[in-house]
Amino acid sequence: MKKAVIVIGLGNTLMSDEGVGVRVVQKLLDFADSFPQINFVDAGTGGMSILHLIDERDKAFFIDCAKMGKEPGDIKKFTPQEIKSIKALSHQSLHEVDLIKIINMADKLGQCPAEIIIFGIEPQSVKPGCELSKTVSDRLDEYVNTIHKELLKIISSP
Amino acid sequence: MHNDMNINVHHITRVEGHGNIVVNVTNGRIEKLQWQVPEAPRFFEAMVRGQSYEDIQTIVSRICGICSITHSLAATKAVESALGLKVSEQADKLRILMHYSEQLQSHTLHIGYLAAPDFFGAPSVVPLVSRAIDVVKTIVRAHRVANEWSDLLAGRTTHPVTLIPGGLTRTPAEKQLRQLQKTLKDTIPDLKVIADVVLSVAGNIPKFERQTEYVSLKQTNPPTYTFYHGGITSDDNGGKVVPIEKWHNVANEYIVEQSTAKWAKWHRDSYAVGALARFNNNSELLSPMGKEAAKMFDLKKGCCNPFMNTVAQLVECFHIVETSITMIDELLTKGLKAEKVTSSPKAGKGAGCVEAPRGILFHEYEFDKKGNCIAADICIPTNQNHANIQKDFEKLVPEIINESEDSVRLKLEMLVRSYDPCISCSTHMLNVEFVK
Repeated sequence: MKKAVIVIGLGNTLMSDEGVGVRVVQKLLDFADSFPQINFVDAGTGGMSILHLIDERDKAFFIDCAKMGKEPGDIKKFTPQEIKSIKALSHQSLHEVDLIKIINMADKLGQCPAEIIIFGIEPQSVKPGCELSKTVSDRLDEYVNTIHKELLKIISSP
Repeated sequence: MHNDMNINVHHITRVEGHGNIVVNVTNGRIEKLQWQVPEAPRFFEAMVRGQSYEDIQTIVSRICGICSITHSLAATKAVESALGLKVSEQADKLRILMHYSEQLQSHTLHIGYLAAPDFFGAPSVVPLVSRAIDVVKTIVRAHRVANEWSDLLAGRTTHPVTLIPGGLTRTPAEKQLRQLQKTLKDTIPDLKVIADVVLSVAGNIPKFERQTEYVSLKQTNPPTYTFYHGGITSDDNGGKVVPIEKWHNVANEYIVEQSTAKWAKWHRDSYAVGALARFNNNSELLSPMGKEAAKMFDLKKGCCNPFMNTVAQLVECFHIVETSITMIDELLTKGLKAEKVTSSPKAGKGAGCVEAPRGILFHEYEFDKKGNCIAADICIPTNQNHANIQKDFEKLVPEIINESEDSVRLKLEMLVRSYDPCISCSTHMLNVEFVK
């Protein structure tokens, strides 16, 4: 039996700030015991596997690195309806992925949660490297607290 | 006859790298015809230097979201070779099963999400959902089975956590393996539906052939259609098997101006790796259902149509599921035991090799006496295929030069897709604009 809510951290931890979603969800795992109805998943660069992770859920939260035209390190909460993806895919390879297209596909297949929230974090650097940039790393606790507060709202609402 | 043609499949808007297709024809003469890979190097080999032998597979599992189990297994085998670690028969079988799960994951994705839109004349899989929802749902179901299978044995769908040098951190319960076996049996009808659908559009697979060398793993003791054990073989070397540690003599990597990725050649100017290479070198060892699927598509040993790689992947799906059902029987008959694995650091150098869904993969590491990595070398299958893609272009374009520019472009894109390349999954970040 799947839990009603899933929190998914996305990204590649070998490409500095690209991996911020994974770093945040790994920290959120410390609070997992306080949220028995929530699955916390480090999905890395699993791409299409997201389809199966969000199936049969009421709510899905994504934490991902996002180019939004904000200041590096900024975090912004939004829904898929509030944005349009401007990511171009060459469709040459399975390895390209666009989260928004996957959500769209889940919707068409009738396996999309009623509510999807995305936390985008603007990168400073997406160059090869296992460490986050200082700009993003210094704000890691802020990202965790922001999302933690959001999750507390879920368990306090009827 | 087209006097002029200018094809440049090139996206400059993306952060991550990919392949460019460039065709310039002037007055009927091909002036430029190139498969370019301008991807920025990602320095993974540098990232593992200084890291403990215990952490290598965890780091390299992040190289790729599609072949993360494969990279982890190749790395773990290389570490075990360097440190002289032995793996139990049970752990070995469970790893092979784990590896099969990723082959099925990747193959179903490639057949359903990347190749099928070409066969159906759709730009991507998303529009196919409206046009052929039952087919897409069947693909999604098969992919989901593979994901749950990975979850059970690798600890999660992507980036495995159960692999350690010397074995596995966890043994599944017999009840879980029985359930997996039942799920796999239930998947066979779905695979048959997928095969029927692919067969119904098989007429859209271009009729193109080019003799080339096919390189893959080969296991002789016992003879097995292998993805995991054995040595390196080619249909050009009379079935002889080269030990894994001699992989540099196979790949012979070299640098070309049009690609930031290295190219490879062995007995000829180029070679191919992947499902069709495995099929050409090992097809007599396929399971009965695998053989039946090959017969269905008239796929025979010696096939040199690269577009048939997708069909070879489908054949492998049947083989993988049928073989796994048998392997689970073997494991359950013997009984599963919890195994404690220990290892200690030492100096050494070792190579590891497995078949990724898209072809043979080599990892090699050297460690100091504290077990810290001092050198690393990774040779991915897609790089080994680049020269072959270029050679295919050079034969294919003159054969289709009288077709429309759109038709030529599509065929070249289909050709690249048929190799199922791992061009880049280094950055997946969102790139969005807010709707005003």
